Amino acid sequence: MALEPLRTQDEKPPRPAAPGKKWIRVTKAVNGIDTEVWEEVSDDTGGPQWGPREQMRLVSRAVPRVDGPDKVTGRAMYSSDMRLPGMVFARVLRSRVPCGTVQLELEAAKAIPGVLAVIALNNGNVDWLGRPIAAVAATTPEIAEDGLRAIVAQYEEQPFAVTPEQAAAENAPKVGSRGNVRTLSKNTDSSEVDDALAKAAKRVQGTWKIPVQHHACLESHGVVVDYRGGDEATVYASTQGTFTIPGDAAGALGLKPNQVTAVVEHMGGGFGSKFQLGIEGDAACRLAKLLARPVHLMLDRATEFHAAGNRSGGEHTLEAGLDEKGQIVAIKGRVTRLGGVGQGSGHPIPYIYGRDAKVFVEDRCIHTHTDSSRAMRGPGHPQASFSMEGLMDECAYASGLDLLEIRRINLPDSRRELYMRQLERCAALIGWDKHAFKNAPDLSKSELKVGIGFAIARWGGGGNGQCKVEVRVAQDGSVEVLSGTQDLGTGTRTYCASIVAEELGLELNQVRPRIGRSTFGSANASGGSTTAPSLSPSVKHAAHNARLALFEKVAPLLGVKPDELEVGLGEIHVAAKPSQKVAWKDACATLGPAGLSAQGEWQAHLASSDVGGAQAAKVQVDTRTGEIKVLEMVAVQNCGLLLNRMSVKSQLQGGMVQALSYGLFEERVIDPDLGLFLNANFEDYKIAGVREIPRMTVEFEDDPRGVIGMAEAAVIPGHSAIANAIRNACGVRIFDMPLTADKVLVGLEALRKKG
Amino acid sequence: MSDAASPPEAKSSPEPRSGSQAKPALTRRAFFKGAGVVAAGGVIGEAVSAANARAYGPATLEGTVEVELDINGAKQKVTLEPRTTLLNALRNHCNPPLTGTKLVCDRGSCGACTVHLDGRPVYSCMTLAVDTVGHKVKTIEGLSPRGELTVLQQKFCEHDGSQCGFCTPGFVMAITACLERNPAASLDEIQNACSGNLCRCGTQPQIFEAALAAGRALQAKGGK
Repeated sequence: MALEPLRTQDEKPPRPAAPGKKWIRVTKAVNGIDTEVWEEVSDDTGGPQWGPREQMRLVSRAVPRVDGPDKVTGRAMYSSDMRLPGMVFARVLRSRVPCGTVQLELEAAKAIPGVLAVIALNNGNVDWLGRPIAAVAATTPEIAEDGLRAIVAQYEEQPFAVTPEQAAAENAPKVGSRGNVRTLSKNTDSSEVDDALAKAAKRVQGTWKIPVQHHACLESHGVVVDYRGGDEATVYASTQGTFTIPGDAAGALGLKPNQVTAVVEHMGGGFGSKFQLGIEGDAACRLAKLLARPVHLMLDRATEFHAAGNRSGGEHTLEAGLDEKGQIVAIKGRVTRLGGVGQGSGHPIPYIYGRDAKVFVEDRCIHTHTDSSRAMRGPGHPQASFSMEGLMDECAYASGLDLLEIRRINLPDSRRELYMRQLERCAALIGWDKHAFKNAPDLSKSELKVGIGFAIARWGGGGNGQCKVEVRVAQDGSVEVLSGTQDLGTGTRTYCASIVAEELGLELNQVRPRIGRSTFGSANASGGSTTAPSLSPSVKHAAHNARLALFEKVAPLLGVKPDELEVGLGEIHVAAKPSQKVAWKDACATLGPAGLSAQGEWQAHLASSDVGGAQAAKVQVDTRTGEIKVLEMVAVQNCGLLLNRMSVKSQLQGGMVQALSYGLFEERVIDPDLGLFLNANFEDYKIAGVREIPRMTVEFEDDPRGVIGMAEAAVIPGHSAIANAIRNACGVRIFDMPLTADKVLVGLEALRKKG
Repeated sequence: MSDAASPPEAKSSPEPRSGSQAKPALTRRAFFKGAGVVAAGGVIGEAVSAANARAYGPATLEGTVEVELDINGAKQKVTLEPRTTLLNALRNHCNPPLTGTKLVCDRGSCGACTVHLDGRPVYSCMTLAVDTVGHKVKTIEGLSPRGELTVLQQKFCEHDGSQCGFCTPGFVMAITACLERNPAASLDEIQNACSGNLCRCGTQPQIFEAALAAGRALQAKGGK
């Protein structure tokens, strides 16, 4: 299927599509790898169709999620809620030092009554802060923690580098064997860009700093392993990929992958951090194997912060050269990404704008003795957006141009119409026409000042052909749709049911969705906003096939051919004569006791790719205290066919809240001298709470394309719009997140001194 | 300050009875006394500080106690250690396990474990189970014991007040207590009531809508 994968820094596919094919942009979202590629796929437009949207009853409407009642009553079973006969609780011990060796004495821990097993988790070498080094299983979580305290860990501490400054210093302690600072880009010749910059009418520059953010999933990483000896196991995992679990778990349990079933009924947030079994899941499997008892191992909150992933931070030094009209003619940049012991997501600079300019970007990564970064919602894009949108506003102010005009000039031709339409709609929603400071910040002496900022996002969101879906119709008329996929809270379960109900003329509650089990049809892991565009066409196909199979059974009853039939609400009737009909129950009664089973596979023509969105923020800055208050955020987004207006709206708003939180509050803090993670808890690592939520308005564009994933696009622009709004409000450009009051005050003081 | 942050008043907590189990060969305290010796100079021993605290600090309680908890209107005897939080008692000691109440931070900073103690919202991770003896505990499971939804729960469903849903029981408990006090609660009062609750999916706007809609519906019905 895949031909010549390319990084889609390129706006367009590499060549025109072959006959019967089309290009889609797909995100490859295996953990840590978040490359977007163009893929040429079949564009067979036969088979099922979504049909006219105005005739839809469920799809494309606002439908309350089917598992809402389970979630609001506490009945929804998350992996961490599993309670099994004989189950024991496990905990992991983190390394106290970022780098060194450790010797463990486990006997005292093993001697504690109630402690059932204690194991070392690695060979004694530690190369990142907080690495789990031992695990204890006990009859209660409290006793398991006693066990951790009783493990005597003797460390030989070695010099470490936990901050980029330490890692990049001369004679820095080595992180891994690849070198602490690695240049990943190949081009080293900047002469053309240097020339263009030298000739530019104006030059604008800055260095933006991006902190390390944490996923902060409320349900921590972990599993419940149900293994009681024998040759079968079930792993209840808090994961974004049901099918990423059995293979890994089988290895740790000494079983074959087909002897392990993964179950993900509900999961409490992943945001890109929950693929594969992980160290914690591996430990749980080993303990279960040892004890032949079910083991419950969920990371405690501090370990979750230390050892369960993060969004790569970094530093972007950018310089833009502009001509007299405000068009960027050259961009020179140095992008440094932090990946811990990993490489970090690529930060795609230049981001959207400036594609017609001459560009030179040096892409580097710096390794530190910290947990590897992982994919996090829109990997790399929020980081790139932060510096690039800041640069755009600085270009506008340097040129005396309106903040929208600078964007119009510098958007690539292929995207100008889309983004300007969205930006202008955001401007209308947020009151831009009445705003006085369109091409210069408010430098007046008033105390409470209000500014507006804009930012945009793009994402691929294409699907792929991994999903196999089954629709079962029973003799009594009940319907099930089955897929091994997982619902991260996006509403997957709900659209599985609504697509089938729509196709078969049923009410939503007549279709039971069954998901989250590796014994059901295969499904892709939920990364890169690929779930909806991969799964929904497969569900549609299975429902379509079920309908056709049922028509075959019903046609003789009505004395017509199957292709003369159509579904109505709760019935099957002759299309040309709707009064000639069979009620749903009677139609299904023609089925044998085994009922009917129909399969579905991905249909490329029911999905599409490439979403765009614009957001704006209105921010109040108190120049006496520096306090930043986000008053309002607005968003305009396209995403093809909306599977459920209600849950898509929730996802978009949720992305905006996460971006606000990223912008204003979030930052991992590690003490460089002590090598200690100082804020590995929810008091000191702050995320946005109910008091920080601004007024929010979101709109979706009417978009005739098929289903596209949009969840990543939602989280990309918000913090950039807020940073720009602060600058617009009071003149202070904060170059480093989080955007805090002290930085406003320092900036105001610097402006005052400059006069 | 949120009500949810207030710990319960421990007026009538019983004296925990020590040693209801057979005396083990090596008690934890005996171990910790010994462990101090292991910690030689220059070696960082994870156990050292704990060992010192246990060896020289206040006497620690050991063993388990049997207590009778009053949960969702039914009395239930559970055997647990005095240090067991109400949260862990609900999730790990009750029969059947009451896992609707979620463990997220385990230190009173996220609100996911909010339950009602004598009608007031408390963090069950910051409340010892033994301290609730003689008090009425209500959990998310107790709001709708026969499966029917409360007005607030209905409105949560209608307004999409859950995404991943892990924070939902905590929000529902915090806002339920608020609306029980005052069905006419303003947005500000509702936000105050759940200012101790975190939601990572960013569902707060829909939660506010649900809470306000529930308040209106409750007022129309005349309170409850």
